[in-house]
Amino acid sequence: MATHESFHPTRRHFLQGAGAVTAALALSPRRPASAQAASRIVLGTWGGDYSKLLTKNVEAHLAPRKIQVEHAIGGDPERRAKLLAEARLPRGTSDLQALSAANMFEMKEAGVLETLDYGKIENARNLLPQMKYPYGVGHIYSGKVILFNPKMIGHAPTSFADTLDPKHGEKLGIIDIQYQFTMMAAALASGGSMSSFEPGKERLLAVKKAGVRIYPTNEALAQALKNEEIGICIMWKARAVQWQNAGITVETVAAKEGVPLYVSGFAIPKNAQNKDGAYAYLNAMLEPSAQEGFAQDMGYNPTVKNAKVPEATQKRIGFTAEEQQRLKDLDYAYIAKNDSALKEWWDKVFKG
Amino acid sequence: MAGRAAAVERPVGSRRLTAAVLVAPATAVVVVGIFLPILLLFRFSLNRFVPGKFMVEALTAANYVKFATDPFYVAVLARTLRVALVVTATCLALGFPVAYWLARTASRHKNLFLLLVVLPLFVGNAVRAAGWMVMFGSKGFLNSVLGGLGLIGTPLTLMYTEGAVIVGIVAINLPFVVLTLQSVIEGIDRSLEEAALGLGAGPFTTFRRALLPLAMPGVLAGGTLCFILAMNAYATPVLLGGPRFQVMGPLVYRTFVGQNNWPFGAAIAFVLMTATLALSVASNVVLQRRYRR
Repeated sequence: MATHESFHPTRRHFLQGAGAVTAALALSPRRPASAQAASRIVLGTWGGDYSKLLTKNVEAHLAPRKIQVEHAIGGDPERRAKLLAEARLPRGTSDLQALSAANMFEMKEAGVLETLDYGKIENARNLLPQMKYPYGVGHIYSGKVILFNPKMIGHAPTSFADTLDPKHGEKLGIIDIQYQFTMMAAALASGGSMSSFEPGKERLLAVKKAGVRIYPTNEALAQALKNEEIGICIMWKARAVQWQNAGITVETVAAKEGVPLYVSGFAIPKNAQNKDGAYAYLNAMLEPSAQEGFAQDMGYNPTVKNAKVPEATQKRIGFTAEEQQRLKDLDYAYIAKNDSALKEWWDKVFKG
Repeated sequence: MAGRAAAVERPVGSRRLTAAVLVAPATAVVVVGIFLPILLLFRFSLNRFVPGKFMVEALTAANYVKFATDPFYVAVLARTLRVALVVTATCLALGFPVAYWLARTASRHKNLFLLLVVLPLFVGNAVRAAGWMVMFGSKGFLNSVLGGLGLIGTPLTLMYTEGAVIVGIVAINLPFVVLTLQSVIEGIDRSLEEAALGLGAGPFTTFRRALLPLAMPGVLAGGTLCFILAMNAYATPVLLGGPRFQVMGPLVYRTFVGQNNWPFGAAIAFVLMTATLALSVASNVVLQRRYRR
């Protein structure tokens, strides 16, 4: 009968093995994802173009300081849910979060964001005052304007009332995830205000009855514009520029009721592990060249005064002096308080 | 030989220990990965939602009451049940003949055919839904072909309809049903069908009186699996149903993530879980009684 060699671990074997494992872990070049190392920060951000452009335009400025940036990519609802879920932990898993101004406010109200020390952000001296929140820094901004295809819509609309009008029937498109701004525009068109969306509901139900098309995402609506399934909608001016670049026939109009402002920025979670790194990032993103890069590549306006955008680009992405008078900042407190109820109405009544 | 004798003589306590060692890892995964989160979820569902404050600890049934008394949520549950039942019935009707043929075929390519049934499972649900989107779009494949043949003047609305969702889920669930039925039908002695036919029963009577009762464990297992998958479908309803087509899976996600309303989201998740479990158990009990001999 053949005998088999068997393995009988002794205490010596065990200690040798354990020592080897410990040494391998200690010497391993890649540590598990955490924001611990001073030279490394974890940035929660949207994926796609935005993440790529951050790498291209912002993170180049951090290389001389040997700060390594890891992107934790996800939609903002998921990242906000994670921020809230991690609130009780002493050490969070991210050092910075890319969020809209409305969402930054909501997170501030939930008590999960650090109050910023602007003394640590040298470039903030050039920051537009509206973009300087106590709990976050505005990175880029655009405004909600009217987009229309002149081939399909005879008369150029001038207002949200002209746009969110049942007369357009199925030619009017709405984006599901843009429910806040759609309700805001409907309110402005119907005697409401940035602090009262209720008056717009009747108008939205009228366009629903007339056959408005609802698309799940910005990209799905862009496809519908391209196919000429729809000919009119409301959207960020920056997106309109991107879509024009992609060959979609749309013109933009700043509505006479106003241009609701969209600000995208960054905030530091209270339990971030590398706050110095996060401040360095905030400073880098306000560098004029980083801001100019975003204006060129993404069509959003810089939030610093010293960025120099070429005149032709400025004309397409920016707002005239007269239009700037109509830029309307959001009532963040109103939105944070009512968002859940507004979303419920949107899902149950408008889409139901 | 000596070793074998030792195994036979091993005391009962030792065998119990071996069984415990074998069962423990899977049990630990289930307890830590499923039961504990479910318990936590149930606890969340009893909390209160206050806008801006996220979740306030409480012990209230208000979230369940809200679901049960709001016609909108009841309609979403009813729609989910309708879709799941239609999908299950369709999968069983389409899957049975295929499974029967696969079980009875003597072809030397049988393994290849089985592989063809499994093949769609290699592609993720979202990717397959993307394929259907290309097919169903207003300028998609189907509309282009029908328009090109002059059969339709204006494009048919196929995307963002309940029909599109049902087609999408049926395509995903069908392989599971076929494979489950095929393995059961293969275990049924062919001579029983031949006996029925020999005794004068027609093919339909043979199916109804002999084959179906014997294949009932497969019908139950395949049907239950299909029903559970359809009740909890997420990617297909979102991508093919569009924003206005609301069923339970996406509703749970939207309530959690879109509204940050964890207590109500947890309650909806529990309603979905309970409805799925109750209907699966009830159908098993009823059908087993009906076909028990």
